[in-house]
Amino acid sequence: MGKTIELKTTINKGNMNKKVFWKAFASGMVVLAALLSFMGISGTAYAIPMAGVGNFYVEFDHLEGNGYTFYPKMGESSKEKSAPQGTNLIKDLTIDHLQLYKDFNISGDKWIRVKIAASKPVHISGLQQDASVINADAKFSNLALKEKQSSDWQKQFQQMSSTIELNHAKIKTHYLFQEKIVMNGMKVTVERINKPAN
Amino acid sequence: MSVRQWKYERPFTGSLLTLISGALTLWVPLNLIVKAFLPGTVSVIGIFFGGMILLLGAIAMSFPQFSKVLGIITIFLSILSVIGALGGFLIGTLLGITGGSLMIAWNPPAPHQKNDDQNVAYTGYESPELVEAK
Repeated sequence: MGKTIELKTTINKGNMNKKVFWKAFASGMVVLAALLSFMGISGTAYAIPMAGVGNFYVEFDHLEGNGYTFYPKMGESSKEKSAPQGTNLIKDLTIDHLQLYKDFNISGDKWIRVKIAASKPVHISGLQQDASVINADAKFSNLALKEKQSSDWQKQFQQMSSTIELNHAKIKTHYLFQEKIVMNGMKVTVERINKPAN
Repeated sequence: MSVRQWKYERPFTGSLLTLISGALTLWVPLNLIVKAFLPGTVSVIGIFFGGMILLLGAIAMSFPQFSKVLGIITIFLSILSVIGALGGFLIGTLLGITGGSLMIAWNPPAPHQKNDDQNVAYTGYESPELVEAK
């Protein structure tokens, strides 16, 4: 009788050193915690997107900024896919008594307000704000309004000034982006309200 | 070479987590740059970090022998990606730290020794052998 021959294959596996894994993971988490606490202590948050919040209000007593540009656009709001808005770009600015709030209808006539307020001056670099209503006492220097020949209607009109000053402002905002913001004395509150802001 | 064998020869889970982390980290600044193209924006830094993490995941898949050093760089960049990319809403950072740690902890398969006097080129895979059935 002949011998039966069978084919057997084995695979060498790489292995994981659990002790090394946990050491590396713990080190990573410690460094991450250190970075986050440093950002928290310095009151700095980088590249904060608030898009998608939609139709919220920004109120403040005083704003002073440099490098202001305004142009019209169509943008998204919480109720419409495309609504007329204006984009405000300011390079550097300081705001006193800033309040940001958004009202939510939770059921029937019950409303809640999420509010972010800063008791100390807020410093922002690289601000973009898309707003549909701006109520304020305004002051500009080197203000220029210009038309430009372009097939894109958003580029046909621009308003620019070297400085901007706004007092007692209430702005209906749809999009807000800051490259860098320092909010010392920040307070976030969620409270019941009787009726929403208009 | 089978898929199973290919997976065993590299830090597969670590590299895969790193690739997902890179994609998540990249997604945040890419969205921001479309919506808010501001000059000198930190989103550009976010895109750099996200792209680098994605690249490290791909390199670790192709060159498993460098997995330890690639793991260290992955952890470092994942943590820094909090600046400019929000660390893929922190999920990207956590996946990056986990993926990087797995890459550091991964050891390649030990070379198989058939005979003491026989030098077999290491492939991580033992060639089929004929065994006498009992």
